[in-house]
Amino acid sequence: MATPVIMPKQGQSVETCIITEWHKQKGDTVQKGDLLFSYETDKASFEEEAPVDGTLLETFFAEDDDVPVLTNVCVIGEEGENTDEFRPDGSAAPAETPAEEPEEAPSAESAAAAAAAEPAATEAPAATAETTDTGRIKISPRARALADKSSADYRFAQPTGPDGRIIERDIVALLENGPMITAAAKDAVDGRGADALPEGSGIGGRITTDDLSQPAAAASEAPQMAAPEDKPAYEDVKLSNMRKTIAKAMHQSLASTAQLTMHSSFDATDVLAYRQGIKAKREALGLANININDIVLYAVSRTLLDYRDLNAHFLDTSMRLFNVVNLGIAVDTERGLMVPTLFNADRKSLNQISQEARVLYEGCQSGSISPDYLTGGTFTITNLGTLDVEYFTPVLNPPQTGILGVNTIVQKAKEVDGEMTFYPSMGLSLTIDHRAVDGAPAARFLKALKQNLENFTVLLAK
Amino acid sequence: MPKVQHVAPSEVRKSGKLKLQDIPLNQYQKTVKDEKDNYSQEDFVRIYRDMVIIREFETMLNLIKTTGQYNDIEYNYPGPAHLSLGQEASAVGQAFLLDTNDYIFGSHRSHGEILAKGLSAIEKLEEDELTDIMKTFFDGTILKAVEGSQEGADVKALAQDFLIYGALAEIFGRQTGFNRGLGGSMHAFFTPFGIYPNNAIVGGSATIAMGSALYKRVNQKPGLVIANIGDGSMGCGPVWEALNMGSMQQIRTLWEEGFNGGLPLIFNFFNNFYGMGGQTAGETMGYEILARVGAGVNPDQMHTERVDGYNPLAVIDAIRRKQAIIEENNGPVLMDTMTYRFSGHSPSDASTYRSKEEIEEWEQADAIDSYRAQLIDAKIADESELDGIVETVGETITRLYKLAIDDKVSPRVNLDENPGAIGDLMFSNEKIEKMEDRECDVLMPKEDNPRVKQIARRTRAAVEDGKPVPKNRQYQLRDGIFEAVFDKFYVDPTLIAYGEDNRDWGGAFAVYRGLTEALPYHRFFNTPISEAAIVGSAVGYAMSGGRVIAELMYCDFLGRSGDEVFNQLAKWQSMSAGVLKMPVVLRVSVGSKYGAQHSQDWTSLCTHVPGLKVVFPTTPYDAKGLMNSALAGTDPVIFFESQRIYDIGENFHLDGVPEDYYEIPIGDPDVKREGKDVTILSVGATLYRALEAADMLEEKHGLTAEVIDARTLVPFNYEKVLESVKKTGRIVLTSDACERGSHLKDMAQTISELAFDYLDAPPVVIGARNWITPAHELEKYFFPQPEWILDAIHERILPLKDHTPTANFTKNEQIRLNKYGI
Repeated sequence: MATPVIMPKQGQSVETCIITEWHKQKGDTVQKGDLLFSYETDKASFEEEAPVDGTLLETFFAEDDDVPVLTNVCVIGEEGENTDEFRPDGSAAPAETPAEEPEEAPSAESAAAAAAAEPAATEAPAATAETTDTGRIKISPRARALADKSSADYRFAQPTGPDGRIIERDIVALLENGPMITAAAKDAVDGRGADALPEGSGIGGRITTDDLSQPAAAASEAPQMAAPEDKPAYEDVKLSNMRKTIAKAMHQSLASTAQLTMHSSFDATDVLAYRQGIKAKREALGLANININDIVLYAVSRTLLDYRDLNAHFLDTSMRLFNVVNLGIAVDTERGLMVPTLFNADRKSLNQISQEARVLYEGCQSGSISPDYLTGGTFTITNLGTLDVEYFTPVLNPPQTGILGVNTIVQKAKEVDGEMTFYPSMGLSLTIDHRAVDGAPAARFLKALKQNLENFTVLLAK
Repeated sequence: MPKVQHVAPSEVRKSGKLKLQDIPLNQYQKTVKDEKDNYSQEDFVRIYRDMVIIREFETMLNLIKTTGQYNDIEYNYPGPAHLSLGQEASAVGQAFLLDTNDYIFGSHRSHGEILAKGLSAIEKLEEDELTDIMKTFFDGTILKAVEGSQEGADVKALAQDFLIYGALAEIFGRQTGFNRGLGGSMHAFFTPFGIYPNNAIVGGSATIAMGSALYKRVNQKPGLVIANIGDGSMGCGPVWEALNMGSMQQIRTLWEEGFNGGLPLIFNFFNNFYGMGGQTAGETMGYEILARVGAGVNPDQMHTERVDGYNPLAVIDAIRRKQAIIEENNGPVLMDTMTYRFSGHSPSDASTYRSKEEIEEWEQADAIDSYRAQLIDAKIADESELDGIVETVGETITRLYKLAIDDKVSPRVNLDENPGAIGDLMFSNEKIEKMEDRECDVLMPKEDNPRVKQIARRTRAAVEDGKPVPKNRQYQLRDGIFEAVFDKFYVDPTLIAYGEDNRDWGGAFAVYRGLTEALPYHRFFNTPISEAAIVGSAVGYAMSGGRVIAELMYCDFLGRSGDEVFNQLAKWQSMSAGVLKMPVVLRVSVGSKYGAQHSQDWTSLCTHVPGLKVVFPTTPYDAKGLMNSALAGTDPVIFFESQRIYDIGENFHLDGVPEDYYEIPIGDPDVKREGKDVTILSVGATLYRALEAADMLEEKHGLTAEVIDARTLVPFNYEKVLESVKKTGRIVLTSDACERGSHLKDMAQTISELAFDYLDAPPVVIGARNWITPAHELEKYFFPQPEWILDAIHERILPLKDHTPTANFTKNEQIRLNKYGI
């Protein structure tokens, strides 16, 4: 009996995952525990192992395919077993391609045409609306009216009415599951199938004209110009799913909020001394390897609740003020920026914060973090100090209203009792959403944070 | 089937001979000289003048039609002109003795009768009465057009202008005509002078005049009624029905003292020997002499005789004798008033069917010429005096002709300024509790009535204390209709009801049980099996001033009364420009179980014809409320009932059907069940199958259906339906009418237009198959079933998961069925 391998559901909110790499090919012998394929969500990447010994009889998706979770990805079994019953679309195996190769290699043009025609021929899983002979899409007036009202592009609705007619419920499904396209971008779609659409960067993930004006995937794979003898002038590197997500998020952040950044610094003498003290005794006390960043996390978690507008989500017509502090922590990984959440930081000890931050960090680095940890932050901290950055303007993570950038430590001079002395100064860069908070209250938060950090041992006693 | 009249075999099997009496033919042969002592000189001259007026009037029209001018004044009149040139003496002779209490009903060829009757009425009315009529009719519109056109005219002369102009302006379709130009040549009439509708349907006036006579008899009004119809109409079934029903013996034998006796009715056949081109005597009829027909109708032989219509004095004599018969309660009578038209059937008639010699012979016998000769011979008037009359008439007609074609004096109904001018006349929409204010003739107090007592023992809702009431203890739909009808009989003294098997039997479906005990014969009686006469007489009864409920036992018999429903009942309010009211409720029972000719829902035939209100209640509450509305109004209401649900209880107003009077507005659909996923609009008894379908949709598919009962088809307020469709986006319409041409298609189309952007699928109509109705056991293959509603939703609107259709609602099947006309 053949065994299907499904695309696991990684977290509550995940509906599809992209196969990033096949480690085995169709026909390969596999053993239980062998890596079968890697895959990623828009927030993390994972690896799937073979659940049984056998032969990889069939793979239903290729690398880069976006696969709905819980869908069969491949089948392992005895050679010769039929795998049709596991086929995700329920259809029979595609007809064998003609054995005879065309005598001449297809010209670039016809190859491109063939490539363009292919999605239609193989009935992509996200089928779009059935059209009549004349190319008209069948859609009920009610569905059309709803589509118009909600700016849904009904061409991408999955029809379930009689005779392939799009009916109201299909637009409702489209609104829930996408793809959504801005009104302005509709004309620029140019008959692309749902699969050929780029990720949307507009409001609510809507695909904008900008998105569409990016070279389409198919176009970038169009006939390559003859490579010059030495290195090409550039390379087009396809964006990873995560890069696209980050790009979208960053752009949306800057495009949709009113960001104001202010800089401050604090005397890190006390903090550094404290850390040294911990470092010396931590093994004996069984403490984590608490670093400066953990200390800042702690101080922020204890300061923020007095400034609730900064521990909040700005929801256009209302503010959601949190009674807990869930700190987003920006983590640099190979695939790009990730922001895991340290939940309930205000109720955790410094030691706990340090331990959990490390687990989150490692999860991000390995790509194994659950997507459930990648949402839910109420305020974010990002640290470029380790890379010697002195000042920067962190980008908000909407709908959060604040993000604190932690900078490197520099020596600064100050006058004490008529003499110039030097002290270690650590920079803090706070970006706020000016729609939610004004400058002065934000500055007061920054000042309070500064005081707490300069008197950290006192803060610990609180 | 009155038990008092015994059908004894010993009697009916007796051998013997039925003897007919002689039928008089042209017995009157007198001239002016012979009658000199019996008429005044003025009368003799007036007879001449009236004939000349008609002759000139018709000549004018003939010239306009054939030469485009009259006295060198050009006019283009494209409408009909069925002229009575040659027939003047018969019209003037008939009208001579009649007054405004005597009603005449005419045909397409009645210009002469209008003028003759009008001139006679003017002669008899007092000046102040005439002035009052002219000033009040349409607020003096006609009077204003003619006033001042004749110098020094006295009231009578003015009234003559009023008459001639009113008729002519009507013929020319002017707003200043007797019927605002909405009747025209073939339908002109003027009730204040006792001139009732003329009728473009051959013989159409027979049943209507009979109903008018019924009105006079039942409500004890003075005067008689004449149906002026042609010899050609003797070939029409409804005319025979009218002869028979107008002569039905119960009126003499069973009706109560004071109401019994023959109807005050003359069936007068203006016999010009041609029905268009068909020669009636000798070619298209069997009677040889028309008067023969009356002899077979009743023991009085309808006092039938042939009268020489070419002698005005002969006709006057005949009318005088017939009036006497009628006054003695021995009507109705039949007159074969022989006459001849010189002109063709219409101006396009080339008279290919008769010889030139024949026409010339009649012209030589011209009634006007010979009467004029008699006047001179009897020294009543001399040539110059009579020439003077001819000249004056010519001038009068010319003067009024000029006025009638002057667009300033005689404008047409302005549909640019008032686009609703005609539409607003389709219904009178009045509420009149009783057509007359007097005591109602009834036989017992309401509370003593056995049916009332029976109903009092019933539960007025189908569910009581959450438990279903046993069927035979429920207040039923038939009780709802009964209560409304019964109540009205005690309010409106003019209300009468009749139809086949109404009395004694109580109606074939027991709606009227209890009425026999409550009502005297003259208010509630059985008719012959004569649907045309049933409906036609109701039209005449109502336009004369009464209220009536007529009944067709089965909807399938509607065809038998086709003209009466579609051309008469529907049209007279608007063709009279609102002068006439039509408070008729026509109860029509839709059958089932009885096969192809007893199971059809023909609501769509009625909705198609403008001027009829069409209702189809399906619950006791609605039936009572809608019948109350129908009986309070002044419009014709076709009241459909379904034999499937006469015994249905009240399932929606669980507080019970009110005992008191209440009305449900005609035109207001009712949401019988609320839902959000699909709307089902039903007409008639299919409501209950629609509710079953709604249950199935909910149980099997989790969909809630909003079920709307149309209750009324015309008029129809779409607001509730549109509101529902905007919510659900989906609608199926269903009724027991055959699907092709069903009124539901009309509704579906209207909904498509009005709610297009809200529709998730086209409205789908589920009607009966376009077949004959099969045997009861096979009816589930013919009439809409609850499953069909799901099938249609599944196939056309919203695919239902795991649904297995029982009927074929695919598009291919629809194309195939249409292709083969099935």
